[in-house]
Amino acid sequence: MNSPGNGAINRSGNSAINRAGAGAAFLATLKRDLLISVKRRNDILNPFMFFIIVVSLFPIGISPESAMLRQIAAGVVWIAVLLASMLSMDSLYRSDYEDGSLEQLLLSAQPLYLLVFAKNIAHWLVSGLPVILASPLLAYMLALPAEGYATLVLSLLLGTPVVGMLGSIAVALTVGLGSRGLILAVITVPMSVPVLIFGTLAVQNALAGGSPAGYLALLGAMLAASVGLAPVATAAALRITLN
Amino acid sequence: MAGRWQWFHRLGSPKWFYEKTTRWLPWLVGAMALFLTVGIVWALLFLPPDYQQGHTSRILVVHVAVAGTSLSFFPLMAVAGTVTLVWRMKLADMVARNAAPLGAWFTFLTLATGSIWGSVSWGTWWEWTDSRLVSMLFQFFLLLGVISLRSAIENAETAARACALLSIVGCINVVIIKYSVDWWNTLHQPSSPISMEVGSPNGPEFWVATAVMIVAVYLFLAVSLILTTRNEIIQRENKAQWVRELVAQAR
Repeated sequence: MNSPGNGAINRSGNSAINRAGAGAAFLATLKRDLLISVKRRNDILNPFMFFIIVVSLFPIGISPESAMLRQIAAGVVWIAVLLASMLSMDSLYRSDYEDGSLEQLLLSAQPLYLLVFAKNIAHWLVSGLPVILASPLLAYMLALPAEGYATLVLSLLLGTPVVGMLGSIAVALTVGLGSRGLILAVITVPMSVPVLIFGTLAVQNALAGGSPAGYLALLGAMLAASVGLAPVATAAALRITLN
Repeated sequence: MAGRWQWFHRLGSPKWFYEKTTRWLPWLVGAMALFLTVGIVWALLFLPPDYQQGHTSRILVVHVAVAGTSLSFFPLMAVAGTVTLVWRMKLADMVARNAAPLGAWFTFLTLATGSIWGSVSWGTWWEWTDSRLVSMLFQFFLLLGVISLRSAIENAETAARACALLSIVGCINVVIIKYSVDWWNTLHQPSSPISMEVGSPNGPEFWVATAVMIVAVYLFLAVSLILTTRNEIIQRENKAQWVRELVAQAR
């Protein structure tokens, strides 16, 4: 719980020390969030189980025919990933808000967007990455043709951090609100649409024998833009909602 | 410096806005009534039926005008939001707050008129392959997000600043959504180039009627926004001396 402390000590130091402090604070925040997630396994397991359950509903609800499934496989996996990340997002700043450590982050001498970025990375590592690792298996169960796997995993690797960072803005805007589930969805779903579009287009293109490079490059561009802008917006949102 | 920026700070004063709009409103309402009457009568009675679409093309006059106007809500809210965040101007937030529900209504009307027209022209009420319908739908969701965020946060100042930030982020996103959905799939007629030739499919009689209607709808937007903002000024400033005098006069 003493993570931002490294930075706070340097408050009166000169800029060179502060710069070193920023890196240390970044790493400390990352490490702290990872540790907390490991100790609170339900926060990792629940979205993961949710992802698998959602995927398993599609063959039952639509059709068990593999001819039909192979057409929708990429889209189903992508949608299930989006829903699962929305579920896991809810806990992104909640416990930090409840125990007051979020306010400590705001008081830290280090740039808030850097610490927010560290939290986003930690969150993606524990909630996004396991889902991505499981996605080839579920895609196989949905009869995705062999040409699609690499592109599916690559598109998820590029796309899910974008969704996570956009969602982080929405979570920061609603932190501390009692009933925010629907607000989160209403804000995050429209913003995730471009990612969903290019993610599924990339796989469909690969299945059709074309090169998915263009769509993956667009996803990469979105990732670069969100790394640059989203943590700044999240930091601004936290400063607004926590006053 | 002080002189050059005086108008800007005056603009931020609710009292100044209220007094100015009292003078502007009759003109705006008059112009709106004129343009609306001309536009609707022209579209419904005098516009020749389209050679392919028949009488349904009359809906387009309203649809194009409403759709064009509904695209201006996120830019409007983003500008008002920037002013709220940077200068903490109360008036900008009052405008932004009233723009969100209006924008949701305009977006809904765009979708409604679009599907009524589509039900005749395309033979379907909803078409996912049409990119503009889909991106309008997501703009509608985002506007609902802004409205529900506003109502969920109890502290008015926090709600104002949170919605301002969301409007700015949303404005960027609406553009990205629009282009990505365009890329995704489109069967929508590309915007047809206008033509100067009387009698051609997009001839003057059609686009002049549409232009009149666009002006009418923008005036309608301005009048509604001004009226709701004036209401809000009276509500929020009910302790101010000039509002009390106003109320006393009205009695």
